[in-house]
Amino acid sequence: MKTTTKKIDDGIQISVEGRIDTTNYNEFEKAVYKVLKENTQQIYLDCSGLSYISSSGLRVFLTVQKKMTATGGKFKLFTMQPAIKEIFDISGFSSIFSIYPDLETAKKGK
Amino acid sequence: METSEKMHKKLVIKNKISEMERVIAFLEQMEKKWNLPAALIPSINLVLEEALTNVIFYAYEEDTENEIEVDFELKDKQLILVITDSGKPFDPTKKSEPDINLSAEDRPIGGLGIFLIKQVMDEVSYQRNGKFNQLTMLKNWQ
Repeated sequence: MKTTTKKIDDGIQISVEGRIDTTNYNEFEKAVYKVLKENTQQIYLDCSGLSYISSSGLRVFLTVQKKMTATGGKFKLFTMQPAIKEIFDISGFSSIFSIYPDLETAKKGK
Repeated sequence: METSEKMHKKLVIKNKISEMERVIAFLEQMEKKWNLPAALIPSINLVLEEALTNVIFYAYEEDTENEIEVDFELKDKQLILVITDSGKPFDPTKKSEPDINLSAEDRPIGGLGIFLIKQVMDEVSYQRNGKFNQLTMLKNWQ
């Protein structure tokens, strides 16, 4: 798993590549928490390279969503692979996250 | 009697999280050997991870080394996974299901693993056999 972070015009974009599972979810957590500390209003998560996620990864997503919602910020996910979207669907996560086809639409989304 | 060796494979792992790497490698081998549908592999990977991490984290006393057995069985277009451990009795199928209609604020962190297994697999059952927990999970495909 690899994450890269960059500032974009109205927030911070994180790109995640590879697998988020029980063996490495804490690395992902660390990377995202670092971004949370910057108190940005919008976090964009590029999921195009995310190939696998288990419940330990989903837990991190949910925690970030809770934290962002609590501070009035937005956590936007975009370009999710169908297999990952399916996991989000069956766990009920699709309805609690804003998932967009690409960065453009994520920026326009509320 | 012809025992179909090729239709039954066993993997034995230790109750350590680093063993998940071996499980994934084994699953990839099974995919090739048994010609399993590629689309099935990520969900089987997920199910194995959820079920095994549960056992690894909760079944045994801390700092004790134990073995966990994972049996793969292929019958026509049905894959049967059986996980056997000698940890404390625990029936994961009895765990209450998360309410997936809750908002992010109300949604508790955790409790998803077993639920995902039940969603992905067609049948999940638990048995306590003597000092063993046995979780049997079936997946059918077309």
